[in-house]
This record gives sequence, C-alpha cells and structure tokens, in this order.
Amino acid sequence: MATVKVSEAEKVYILHGIRDDLRVDGRGCEDYRHVEIETDVVSNTDGSAKVTLGYTAVLVGIKADIGKPKPMVPNEGYLEFFVDCSANATPEFEGRGGEELGTELSNTLYKVFNNKHSVDLKSLCISAGEHCWVLYVDVLLLQCDGNLYDAISIAIKAALFNTKIPRVHISADEEGGKEIELSDDPYDCMRLDVENVPCIVTLCKVGHRHVVDVTLQEKACSVASLIISVTHKGTITCTRKVGGGSLDPESIFEMTEAGKRVGKALHAPLMALLQQEESLGKKRQKVGFLG
Amino acid sequence: MAGLELLSDQGYRLDGRKATELRKVQARMGVFAQADGSAYLEQGNTKALAVVYGPHEMRGSRSRTLHDRAVINCQYSMATFSTAERKRRPHGDRKSTEMSLHLKQTFEAAVMTQLYPRSQIDIYVKILQSDGGNYSVCVNAATLAVIDAGIPMRDYVCACTVGFVDETPLADLCYAEESGGVSSLALALLPRGGQIALLQMDARLHQDHLETLIEAAMTACKGVSKVLDQVVRQHLEEVSMLTGE
Amino acid sequence: MAADMRLPTIRKPVSLCSGERKDLVVPGDVITSDTGFMRGHGTYVDEDKLTASVAGEVQRVDKLICVRPLKTRFNGEVGDVVVGRITEVQQKRWKVETNSRLDSVLLLSSVNLPGGELRRRSAEDELTMRQYLLEGDLISAEVQSVFSDGALSLHTRSLKYGKLGQGVLVQLSPSLIKRQKTHFHNLPCGASIILGNNGFVWLYATPSNEEEEAGGFYTSLEPVSLSDREVISRLRNCLLALAAHKVLLYDTSVLYCYESSLQHQVKDILKPEVMEEIVMLTQQKLLEQEG
Repeated sequence: MATVKVSEAEKVYILHGIRDDLRVDGRGCEDYRHVEIETDVVSNTDGSAKVTLGYTAVLVGIKADIGKPKPMVPNEGYLEFFVDCSANATPEFEGRGGEELGTELSNTLYKVFNNKHSVDLKSLCISAGEHCWVLYVDVLLLQCDGNLYDAISIAIKAALFNTKIPRVHISADEEGGKEIELSDDPYDCMRLDVENVPCIVTLCKVGHRHVVDVTLQEKACSVASLIISVTHKGTITCTRKVGGGSLDPESIFEMTEAGKRVGKALHAPLMALLQQEESLGKKRQKVGFLG
Repeated sequence: MAGLELLSDQGYRLDGRKATELRKVQARMGVFAQADGSAYLEQGNTKALAVVYGPHEMRGSRSRTLHDRAVINCQYSMATFSTAERKRRPHGDRKSTEMSLHLKQTFEAAVMTQLYPRSQIDIYVKILQSDGGNYSVCVNAATLAVIDAGIPMRDYVCACTVGFVDETPLADLCYAEESGGVSSLALALLPRGGQIALLQMDARLHQDHLETLIEAAMTACKGVSKVLDQVVRQHLEEVSMLTGE
Repeated sequence: MAADMRLPTIRKPVSLCSGERKDLVVPGDVITSDTGFMRGHGTYVDEDKLTASVAGEVQRVDKLICVRPLKTRFNGEVGDVVVGRITEVQQKRWKVETNSRLDSVLLLSSVNLPGGELRRRSAEDELTMRQYLLEGDLISAEVQSVFSDGALSLHTRSLKYGKLGQGVLVQLSPSLIKRQKTHFHNLPCGASIILGNNGFVWLYATPSNEEEEAGGFYTSLEPVSLSDREVISRLRNCLLALAAHKVLLYDTSVLYCYESSLQHQVKDILKPEVMEEIVMLTQQKLLEQEG
C-alpha cells in the first residue's frame, strides 16, 4: 500500500482519539467517508462503475467473453479478476511497483466473488461443458487514500449491477455442431442478479479498538486488520486477516460482529442508489471525470 | 480498395466528418487532488487521464540525477478494458515502452528543465478508452496536466495523428481508419513557434506527399491548441476568481 | 453509522466577489515586447519578447514582471516559516520534506541542543542525532538560506521552532497560504495553528503556560482532552473545505469558517453541500469585514 510516515506523537494522538471514538476528521469508529458512485462510465465495456471514497478513487470495467467452462463445473461460468495499481495513484506504483499489491488484491477478490453463493454462475452457462460466459473484471486504482478493499467491492457490485450481457441463440448447423449467435439488438440483454453479492468491510485494530474505513495515517498506526465480506442478509462469506501484527481471539470475534453490522448497513443505501440511477435512464447527465 | 470506404465521394469519412475536421475535444484540469497536476481529456471516443508528480527529489537511482536539469520520467499505460479486445497487460510490453519514450522526448523539448537541477518530474498517462490517435491524446492530456502542476513550459505541446487517403490528408484518425491500412503520421507541435517536437511515421508514403501531410498535421495541431487554450483559460478564470485577494 | 452514498454532480465554483479583471496568461503568451522590464519567475525571454511560461496571474512590481501560477510546489525564500517532516538522517544533517522541488536540509549546527545555545558540536552529538530527531518526526523551522540548486537550508534556532508534538497535519497547496507577519496563532476557539508557508498546516492544542517556554525536543505524550480534540478536528475539516474552494488561508478566514461551521456536526463538514454553505458564509463575513 502507498505508505505515509507518521511521527510518534501523531500516532499517540490518533490512538487516543480512536479510544475516545473521535477520529481526526470527526468521524466515529464505524463511520464511512463520503462515497460517490457512478455507473456506465466507460463505453466499450459491458458494465462499468466509478467509486470515490474520500480521496480513494477506483474504476471497474467488466467485459463478457465466451469461453470454455472449467472441467470440474461444466454448467457454470466464472469471473476473472485483474487489479491494476496504476502509477497515477502514487509514483511508488511505477513500472512493476504496483504488481505485488495488485496480485494480493485480485487473489482476495477471487475468493470473495468467484463462487456460486455470491454470483449466480449457472446463469452464465450457455451450453454445458462447451460454452459459457466469462466475466473479466478489471479494477483500475486511480487514487489511493486507504481502504481499498471496501471501495473496490462497492465498485464491483455496482459494475455487476450495470453489466448487460447479450443474449445468445444456439442453433445447430449442418454438421451437427452448435453455432452461437449473439443477439444484434442492444437492448436484448441479460442482467445479473446482484442481491447476494457481498461487500467487503476492512476493520483495522488500532490500540484496543477497531476502526472502519481507515485513512493512510490511521493505517500507519495499526498493525493488523481483518477483512470480512458480508452479504445483505448479514451472512459472512469470507474472512481474512492481513498485516504483520497478531490479533487475539476476542478481538477477532468483536471485529467480526462489528463488521457484520457495518456491512449489512452498506447494502441497502447502495442498492437504493443504483436503482435510483437506473431509473433516471437517458435523462441522467453523465459526469465521469468531467465534473 | 480501402480508400473507397474511408473517404466517400462527397468527402465524408466513416464517422461523418470531413477530411480536415477534428473530433470533439472535452477536457478538465485538476481532476485529482493528491497529485501535483492532473487532467482528463476526451477526443471523440479516446479518453486519457494524465497525472504529474513533481518536481521533487530524485527517487530510486540517484545515479540518474542530472546536475543541470530535471529528469523527466514518463509512463504510458492502457487500462485493460480500454480496447475492444481485452488487453492482458496494462504496460511493460514493447508498444507501451516505446510510447513512454516518445512522450519523454516530446516533453523534454517543451518543459524548461534547466530551472530544476537535480530533481525529477513524473508524467503518468493512462488510456481509459482507445479509439485511435492514442499518442496524440496522451500528449494533449499531459500538456494540460503539466500546466496544472505549475511547471514552466515554453509553449503548449499539441499533437495530432493524420493519415493519407486518396491524395487527401485526413486529420485526427480514429481506430477504424488507423487499422484500415492508411499511412499515418503522428506529429507533436509547439504551436506558437511552429516547432516540431516529435514526428513519427510508420508506413509507406511517396516523398512528394510528405510535405502536404506535414502541413495538414501542423494545421490540425494548431486547431487542437486553440481548444486546449480555451480549456486552460476557462480553468484559470474559475480558479482565480475564487482566490480573490 | 450508515455510509453516505450519492451520485456525483457537476461542481459549480462558489464565489461571491466578482473582483477586478485579472491579467491572466497561459504558457507561450507574450506579456510585453518592451525590453525595459526585468523578468521574474514564470517568464522567459524569446527573441526580445517577454513570454509567460506558466498559467497564472501577471504581477508587476516596478520594473519586475513575474507570473504566479495557480498551483505550484513551494519556492522558499529566506525568512519563510515551514513545517516539515524528517525523511533521512545523514551525517551532521537531516533531510526534511517540505513540499518543495528538492528536499530541504537541516544542519546539525542549525538546531538548539539541550544545554544551551553556545555548546560546540561534539562528535558525540553526531552519533546521537537520532535521539533528537528521527525519520518521520515533524518540525517547525525557518528558512535560513537557499542553495544554488534551489534546496532550502532550515534552522530552528529560536524557542518557538523545534520538534512538534501531538496534533494534526493538513497538507495543502502553498499558493493558498497568505503571507503574514506571524504564522503562529493561538485561536480563541481553544486550539493553536501554525500556517507553514509551504502549505503544511499544523493544528495542536494550546499548551498551558508552564510548558510554553520549554522549546527544543521535549514532547508531551499526555492524552489531549476531548473538547480540544473536537476543536482540532473541526478546524481540520474547515481547512479542507476552504482549500477545496480555493479560499486564501490566514487566521481570520480560518476563524470565520470555524464559527460558520458550529451549527453542523464535525463529520458533516466534508459533505459537498455543507462545504459550499460554510465557505459562502465565510466569504460573506470576509467581504463585510473589508468593506
């Protein structure tokens, strides 16, 4: 992660603040920063979304391609993830500097999203064992100010909601093989059901308390964090501990409970916002980066 | 013959433009707060984001420090979803390295690096959507970002890609035209002095046509510079009004 | 607790004063062909014509013409007060990051050592430099001189400068800080502020009288009281709001902004509409005060 240096005195200040539930920017331990979401920002993708969380900015593009299903699960499609930590965010990511972080992020995303509980993979199947839809999810990190997992997961959920997969017609040709035809009509498409797509909540342990949505300064004061992916029903689908420090079992339990609470509360406003944006339809003024 | 499709008898191109017409340019400066300078530019369907860090102390290899001027460091990369066929690697391939080198050459000609000895200026450009004229759009976006960062330049740097079809130069090629086998020329120009910062052509062209093509490219660049000028002045007006001393 | 999510909107600049027409130039613009003028920063001579090299406002002082860009790295001058972070400890000097084009230098001979000013620097001092200032520490200092390549040489040879203790650092653009006689202010709302010329602003709790003249390198690690903390957080958010709307920062503008923000909760100040409201009120008050 892009790092900032913090002096000892600043660390003490931040620690005491979190202990008293008053962070440097006035938030409580479980408050998020201001979030802005917009979908359909990149035109030659099948679905896209741009999310700004404080200063962190993430752009997700989804392309749907026809591929061969995995041998173990012949009647399911799958998702492929790629996270690009671009040099735009910080000069440290120039060249191959951002590869390590990118690989770590995409591995976690595979675990969280590429399973049948999060996304209905069966709906991505075209003909069992031969053809299926592969969704290539590309995440582009534009600005980095902490809390990448949360921003990326919100963006992925929004992009999946926005994805329009063309309908296919399978016809048999003369030799008995199958021919796939994509529907020409741009409105004849399939949408994905994103109800069960989880959102990731990162909780960092600072002192004796845990904090949600940390900035880079607060991250420098914490030694360990817990990443939890939570669905709208409050079910936890994946947990992972990151960081060099250690956590004791009670903290993990407390953090999991807090994560469940916070994560569950994220889904409702997100879906409402996405529905609102969709209902604006053609009248919506596309802002993108020109705002 | 490819020429018949690219330029119709009435003089219209594939997307309805005339031969010397440029695509619509929309731009915005100061898009990101954390960088020293940033800009977003759209030319038709090609969209690019440019970010500038610096001038700052040399990072990494101290041996590359120049004692009398600043080192300009460029990186060109494309988002994996920018092209119709998904790209597997955003940068690191030969094409991106070549583009980064070209950008570096272009900006070394325009930025007054002798004012910043021993420091480094980073220019990072990302293509979000690719529809032809990638190099030109990058240069235009990067110019705006460098101006946003307050780094002194001799003049704007404007770039345009032109092609030659049916004895007619076509200004500002889109992807369909570029891949249609047209001989294309990319030119980066400092408009006021009329000086060329970079000239690149990778196709066969009869030398009689070269001068016409370069003239057309220079005219197109001057057109682009007018638009960029407008964007910068508007941004200046907006921001200086707020600072009101 | 719920995150504040919304769709992005095109921001319109907030401004009350119409102001006089300013002389704005862009790179390549000819300012004058008269050779009687001296050229200052932001200009160059091209065939006897004085041309601008940055985009900004032309400032004429007698025979000197210079162009001040809107945003730039810190160009230090002798006597400027800066807040900086130590990046490296070298032999007999520290390297300090001050948002300028080269890292600044703080020589061992330019600091106050415990034991009085007149003590000669011994070999022991060189070895124990880390005990005084470590990488990551924050200091307030004054620019002593400028090297030929533009790097600044700092000094902390006065009791008001030195290592900074507990507080909050806000990083802004140097062009937003107004030049004043003094940059250290004890605000009546209960906190103190150091407005560094380099754009780094330090907020801290006003020290009680006995600690006032301690100077040097002692930093208190006692927890700051909750009420002081709230004042500091509110000031931090106000500074960010003013910076986002490009308002010039000095003690009066910061104070007016603080007062206008009292009706809102600290964490709400960073919402776009609240920021606009507060900045408008501040600008109104400033205009009333001038007129």
